[in-house]
Amino acid sequence: MSATTNAIILCVDDEEIPRTLRKLILEQQGYTVIAVTSGREALDKLAESSFDLVLTDQMMPGMLGTELTRQIKQIMPGLPVVIVSGVNELPPDASCADRFISKIEGPAALFHGIADVLQQYRTAS
Amino acid sequence: MSRHDQANILMVDDQPGKLLTYEAILSGLGENLIQARSAREALEILLKQDIAVVLMDVSMPEIDGFELADMMHNHPRFLKTAIIFISAVHLTDVDRIKGYQSGAVDYISVPVVPELLRAKVSVFAELHRTQRQLERLNRELEERVQQRTEEIRMLNSQLEQRVAELETIMQVLPVGVAVAQDAECRDITANAALRDLLAAPPEENIILAARDGETLPHEIYQQGRRLDANSLPLQQSARTGQQLGSMELEIRRQGKDATYVLASAKPLFGEDGNVRGAVGAFFDVTSRKQLENLLRERADLLELATEAIMVRDLNGVLLFWNAGAEALYGWRRAEVLGKNIHDILKTRFSPDSLDMEQISYDPAMSGNWHGNLVQVTREGHEIVVASRQALKDEGNAILEINRDITAQLRAEDALRRTERLAAMGRVAGIIAHEINNPLEAITNTFYLLKNHPSLNEEARYFARLGEEELLRVSHITRQTLGFYRESKDEVEVSLSQLLDDILDLQMRRLELSKVTVSKLYSSSGVIHGFPVELKQVFLNLIGNAVQAMPDGGTLRLRVLEQAPMENRPAGIAVSVIDTGHGIQPEHARQLFEPFFTTKSTKGTGLGLWISKGIVQKYGGSIRFRSTRFESRNVTCFKVFLPDSNGGRLATVTAGDSRRAYSQMAASVAGRSSVSDD
Repeated sequence: MSATTNAIILCVDDEEIPRTLRKLILEQQGYTVIAVTSGREALDKLAESSFDLVLTDQMMPGMLGTELTRQIKQIMPGLPVVIVSGVNELPPDASCADRFISKIEGPAALFHGIADVLQQYRTAS
Repeated sequence: MSRHDQANILMVDDQPGKLLTYEAILSGLGENLIQARSAREALEILLKQDIAVVLMDVSMPEIDGFELADMMHNHPRFLKTAIIFISAVHLTDVDRIKGYQSGAVDYISVPVVPELLRAKVSVFAELHRTQRQLERLNRELEERVQQRTEEIRMLNSQLEQRVAELETIMQVLPVGVAVAQDAECRDITANAALRDLLAAPPEENIILAARDGETLPHEIYQQGRRLDANSLPLQQSARTGQQLGSMELEIRRQGKDATYVLASAKPLFGEDGNVRGAVGAFFDVTSRKQLENLLRERADLLELATEAIMVRDLNGVLLFWNAGAEALYGWRRAEVLGKNIHDILKTRFSPDSLDMEQISYDPAMSGNWHGNLVQVTREGHEIVVASRQALKDEGNAILEINRDITAQLRAEDALRRTERLAAMGRVAGIIAHEINNPLEAITNTFYLLKNHPSLNEEARYFARLGEEELLRVSHITRQTLGFYRESKDEVEVSLSQLLDDILDLQMRRLELSKVTVSKLYSSSGVIHGFPVELKQVFLNLIGNAVQAMPDGGTLRLRVLEQAPMENRPAGIAVSVIDTGHGIQPEHARQLFEPFFTTKSTKGTGLGLWISKGIVQKYGGSIRFRSTRFESRNVTCFKVFLPDSNGGRLATVTAGDSRRAYSQMAASVAGRSSVSDD
């Protein structure tokens, strides 16, 4: 296990099954995963605990992934955020996130993306 | 001396002997000698004949010489008839003779000296003859004077008639006439037409130019410049002594439309050779001028019109061709006038807008027609025009006004296409969301399942099969529904590098199919774009090419830089050529349509459609040609991508591909070559 897999990830998704499965595969990779169901909940969680990375779905009722990302970047600019999405169009403000990953790229692409971003932040700090 | 000029000499004596003597003396003179025995007889002869000289004896019985002379001198006819008295010299007789004092009376004393008598008679005869001649001359002269007088009278009357005629002509002439009777042209008489032109009151001396302090109701201009008094035609002509040709003048009057006249003037010369006045003529050309202006304006309008305006006769021979037509078709006026419009423009109906109304195309029948036509420019480009045609010139000519709507049609077509793509995109977005989410969940499930320690070898094998099939689903949705971009900004993409990357990925398939690769990169082919999209285009084309060659063949890849052309920017052309089973003519038409596939269950039928969509987004084009040779087929897909580095011209390709379809349909008909060129 590489150093990055010790990281604690906050996983945000409104749909239960995809959220659970994403949590499981990440845990299998060695990450510690806390899952929440909305952007609002995520912000509350971030206020009480510290995380190494936020992984959020884009299409969520109440608050979009990009909106959540912007708010996180305002409060904690040093916290990396990765967005996963099932839609085919890149949202106009996608660049606010550190990485935008398509859901259909599969687990390998997801792991690679997360590890990459964590590596970037670790080298930077 | 001729007989006619003989003078009559009357000899009067009562004694015949004396008469004989006189006759003997005078016979040598050659005159006509007449004898009279008495005064009475002499008077009778005098009354009958013109007598030049009377030779008379003074002493005669009954009536003597003096009595006869008195009687003669009482008669006016004989007042000047010469008389010679013959007398013995008596003092009293001489005194009486002298008493006549007339000069035409003489006397001869007795005895008669013959020479003297001959001399005296001869003088009187000559005198008489001269007198007669003078009288005759006088008479002739008088006749001649009278004749001359009559002639002059006739001439005068003719002159008066001519003057009257001229004055009448002046008054009825529709041309304004002015006559100046002095060199300074102060007094000018004008005819009715000129008064009308100047709106001058009748019977008033006309004033053409204002003198000091005067204002006139009219101002006269030449070519927009106001003329002063010296520059007016009459004055100018009188001043220079030269005739003036036609000069165009404008007469402006307050509150009225300007009047235009053509003026000419000629000086009048006096007997001394000096200018004594001038005559001017003024011809009203206002209506002609107005017509000219109107025609010029119309001609300007025709030239300014962006529409092509043409006139042809009923045989199609071109009579008129405006600047708009020159611009639209590229033919100069001089090149087409007199030629047949149908030969020049190859006009045919536009297939897009053919309807029943258009089929009855015959302007000569209905008088008017409008619709869309396809024509060919000088450069050989086909253009679509909105045409209006009308019968003119009493049915002898056809006016055609055309507007190029090619670009408009292309734009409309492109818009329809874009709208369709957008609609497809929306549908794709919804489907993507609904499929991709569960797909991720299932993929993740299989990922977890595959690695689950509780599974035995067989169960793990099943999980792997499921995962592989899921990869296919993912591949399809990524290819069709998930063409998202990895970044927002275009980056430099080397197309030859991109092709090499694809070849690396396909290496195993190429080897398995025994396909040899031939690369011809004459450029690295750098354009600005999004690598994932572009990769997808060539992955599709190369994938198709390889699939078309299950029993081996050659895959040829070509990258070529293309210089800008008239209606195409510079860019990169990439050709993907295979020697596979070729494209069936009946498939050519549908090749780029969505869900069309020749690979039955193996293909999505979206590859070429998506590729084309991407290429069009770049403002590029995609074309193909498939040629059947004896032993093999050669199929080439050629993608042109402009290196826009900025602005995109999506509309260009929409029209191109539409044309490509129609041409494809045409070429499929009988030839063994299928293409869209």
